[in-house]
Amino acid sequence: MGVTIDGSGAIGRRIADLEISRAWLVDPIADREGPGEIVVHDGRLEAVTWLDAAEGAGVEPGGVIVVPGFIDLHVHLREPGFEDAETVASGLAAAAHGGFTTVCAMPNTEPAIDDAGIFGRVLAAAGSSGSPVELLVYGALTVGRRGESLAALGELSDAGAIGFSDDGAPIRSATILRNGLLYAGMLGRPVVDHAEDPALTEGAEANEGLVATVLGLKGWPVAAESGPVGRGLAILADVLRDEPRARLHFTHLSTAAALDLVRRAKAAGLPVSCDVTPHHLALTDEWIAGSRAWAWQSDADPWLGAARVAGPYDTSLRVNPPLRDRFDAAACLAALLDGTADAVVTDHAPHTRVDKAVEFGLAANGISGIETAIGVLLAAVDADRLPLRRAIAALTSGPAAILRAAGWPGARGLVEGAPADLVVIDRSETWLVEAASLRSKGKNSPLLGRELPGRVLLTVADGRLAYEA
Amino acid sequence: MTAASPDRAASAPVATAHQVPLVDAEPASQGTTWAHRHLLDLDRVTWPEIELVMRTTQAMKEVLGRPIARVPALRGSGVTILFYEASTRTRVSFEVAAKNLSADVVNIAAASSSVSKGESLIDTIRTVEALGARMIVIRHPTSGAADLAAEHFSGSILNGGDGWHAHPSQALLDLFTLRERVPGGDLHGRKIVILGDVLHSRVARSNIWSLTAAGADLWLCAPATLMRGFERWAAASAGVPGHGRFQVTSDIGAALRDADVIMALRLQRERMAAGLLPSLREYAARYGLTLERLALARPDALVMHPGPMNEGIEIAPEVADHPRSVITDQVTNGVAVRMALLYLLAGTGVAGAGGAAAGPTGAAEALGG
Repeated sequence: MGVTIDGSGAIGRRIADLEISRAWLVDPIADREGPGEIVVHDGRLEAVTWLDAAEGAGVEPGGVIVVPGFIDLHVHLREPGFEDAETVASGLAAAAHGGFTTVCAMPNTEPAIDDAGIFGRVLAAAGSSGSPVELLVYGALTVGRRGESLAALGELSDAGAIGFSDDGAPIRSATILRNGLLYAGMLGRPVVDHAEDPALTEGAEANEGLVATVLGLKGWPVAAESGPVGRGLAILADVLRDEPRARLHFTHLSTAAALDLVRRAKAAGLPVSCDVTPHHLALTDEWIAGSRAWAWQSDADPWLGAARVAGPYDTSLRVNPPLRDRFDAAACLAALLDGTADAVVTDHAPHTRVDKAVEFGLAANGISGIETAIGVLLAAVDADRLPLRRAIAALTSGPAAILRAAGWPGARGLVEGAPADLVVIDRSETWLVEAASLRSKGKNSPLLGRELPGRVLLTVADGRLAYEA
Repeated sequence: MTAASPDRAASAPVATAHQVPLVDAEPASQGTTWAHRHLLDLDRVTWPEIELVMRTTQAMKEVLGRPIARVPALRGSGVTILFYEASTRTRVSFEVAAKNLSADVVNIAAASSSVSKGESLIDTIRTVEALGARMIVIRHPTSGAADLAAEHFSGSILNGGDGWHAHPSQALLDLFTLRERVPGGDLHGRKIVILGDVLHSRVARSNIWSLTAAGADLWLCAPATLMRGFERWAAASAGVPGHGRFQVTSDIGAALRDADVIMALRLQRERMAAGLLPSLREYAARYGLTLERLALARPDALVMHPGPMNEGIEIAPEVADHPRSVITDQVTNGVAVRMALLYLLAGTGVAGAGGAAAGPTGAAEALGG
C-alpha cells in the first residue's frame, strides 16, 4: 500500500493530488468493503477503484484502511463561554485528529445557543478556524436551556440548526417535550434528549451498583435513564398523531433497560433513534475502583476479585450518564450490533484541569473523547466483539442517516466525483494517548497512558487537509 | 500517585523516633512489617498487618497506663489534623495520640482556614506539606478525598473518615476493643451485627473488611432504604475466594438472635428529609437497640457504638450504659490505636528509616526510651 500526497502541510489547504494504492476500503454508505485504490485530484475523488480478489491479494483489513470521514452527532466545543476548556478551533482540530470530518455541537454554552445571533457566532468561529471539518450546531430546545419555554426554534432552524437539544440537562417538563417534538417536527428537525431523571440523580456520583457501594459513592440508578426514555417514547407516540414528522433521538444511552425500550419502540415503528458512546460500551464503573480492563475483558468473576491496577476515584471517569457495569456495557455493544443504536457519538466533553483536579463527587462530568473514539472501537474490533464494517458504519452511515433526515446533504461516501471526505488509518500501528498527543484542550481522558490501536494517518474533509500525522 | 515517588519519600528527613531501637514484645510479630505509606482504608491491609496494628496498639496502651503517657517516638515530626467536618471524638483522639508521641501537632478546621475561601483540597494539601507536615490526618465529607490527598502529598495520609467510604482507624479500634473483650480474643465464628444506617456509614464499610478478615460471622441489619446496594456486595463477596462473607437482612430479630456483638450506628436526622425513613419514632420503634432486643442476643453479648450517639433513637440509654456496653472502651482504645497508626506510618513515610518498617515492633519498653 502507498499514500502519496502532493503539497500537503497547511491545514485547510485543498488536496491537489493524493493517491492511495492497495488499501482496504470500507464504505458503509455504499455498503461495500474490500481492497481498492483512491485518487484525489483538486479536492475531488477522481477515482475509486475496487480491486478484484487477484488484484487485491495481500491487502488486509488489518493494515491501512480508508473510510469515509467520521460524523459525530454529539460534541461540546465550549465556545462561547468556556474557552479555557475548548474552543471551536481546538475542538475541530481534535475532531480531525480523531478522523471526524463532521461534528454536531451541543448548545450548552454560555450563553446557550438559543437564538440565531449566538448560533451565527459559533458558525463564524468555525469559519475563522481554518479547519475544513464541517461544524453543525444544535439549537437549544428551551430558552437558556432552562426547560421553561421553547427557544426560537424556527429562527434557529432557518439559521441552520440541525436539531434541538437541552443536552447536559434533561427536558424535565413532559409538556415542553411534547410541544418541542411537535414544533421541531413541523420544522423537520429531531429533538435530541439527554434522558435523565434529575430527582433520581440528585447528588449521584457513580452507577448504582457494587463499585459505588464499596467506594461509598452515591448511586446513579439505571431507572434515572430508562424512566425518562419510557416517558419520551410515550409522548412521541402521542405527538405523532398530530405531527408525523416528529422525531426523537436519545443520546448517550448507557443501560440495557433504556436500549430495550428503544429496541421495542423501533420494532413498533416509532420514529426514534439513539446513540451510544465509546466509553459506555468499552469502559465500566470498575475503572473507578482501579480496573483498566475493557468491558468485554471482564469475565464472570465479580469485581471484588478483579485486578485493580490504578488508584480509585479517578475523576476523568466521572461522566454523565455514569460508566455502568459490564452488563450494561455489553448491552451498548449489542445495541450497536443489532441496529438499536444508530450511531456512536463521542459526547466529547473537554474540561479544564481545575474542574477535574478535585474530589470525585465535586468533579465536572465529562470525558474528552473525540480523539480516542476510533481507537476504542478498533479495540473492540480487535477483540472480535464488533465487525470492522459495523464500527465504521456507526461513525459514518449511521449518523449520516439521522442528519440527512434533518435535511443535511453531506456524507456521500467513497464515490467518484464527490469532494474527498475520508480518513486513512493504519490499523497495524498503535499510538500512545498522552496529554501532549491530544489536540483538544481537554486532557480529561481516562485513556491517558494507554496504547490504542489504529493510528489516523490522514483526515481529508471537503477536499481539504484536516489532519496529517 | 504522582507525589509518591520513592525518591521524594527517601529524601524526606528521618524521624528521630525510629533511631531508637525497638524491642519486640511478642515473638509472633517476627517478619511482619508495615508496608503502607498511607492508611486510606482496610481493603488492602492484610490480616498479618492488622495483627501488627493490634500488637502495636497493645504497646501503646501500656504507654497510656504510665503516669506520664508520653513517649518521644514522633519528636520533631509534623502531624497536621485537617478536618473538613465537625468532629470532637475523632479529632481529639488523633490530637491526643499525636501529642502522646511528641509530634508537632497542627489542627486545621476547614471552616477557619482558607478552605472556606474556596481553596481546593489539592492546594490545601500542598500548603500543609510546605508548612512542614510529614503526616496528615484528614476527615472529609466526600468519598475518595483521602485518596486524592495521598496522590498529592509526599508524606503519609491517615484517613480520619472520608464521606461514606472509609474510617479505618475506627474499624481498627473496634477490632481492638472486641479482641480485648471477647473471651479468648478470637472473633472466628462470632456473630457480629452492624445495626443501622449502613448506606451512609464509612464505619460499616471499613468494618466489613476488618471483621470479615477476623473471621467473624458478620451481619448488616437496616431498613431496606438504608442498606441499598449491600445485598450485591454480600453476594459478590460470597463468590470470591479470600473475601470475607457477610449477610444482610432487614429482619432485626434474625440479625440479633444469638449475636455476640451488636454495633449500633448513628442515624442522621437528614435521612428523614431525604425520604429514606417515615419518622424517627418509627425507626426507634423498629430498629432501635432496646433492652428487649438486646435480650435476643447471647447473654454475654457486647454493645458498641462509634459515636456520637442519639440515645433513644438508634440505642436506648439503658443499653448504652449497660454493663455489656464497651462504648467507653472504644473511646479509650481509640487513642491507643491512633498512636499505633501514627507510629507505624511514620516508619514508612521515610524509606529506610528504622522503626516499624525495619522489623519487629511494638515494645512499650523501647517506646519509653
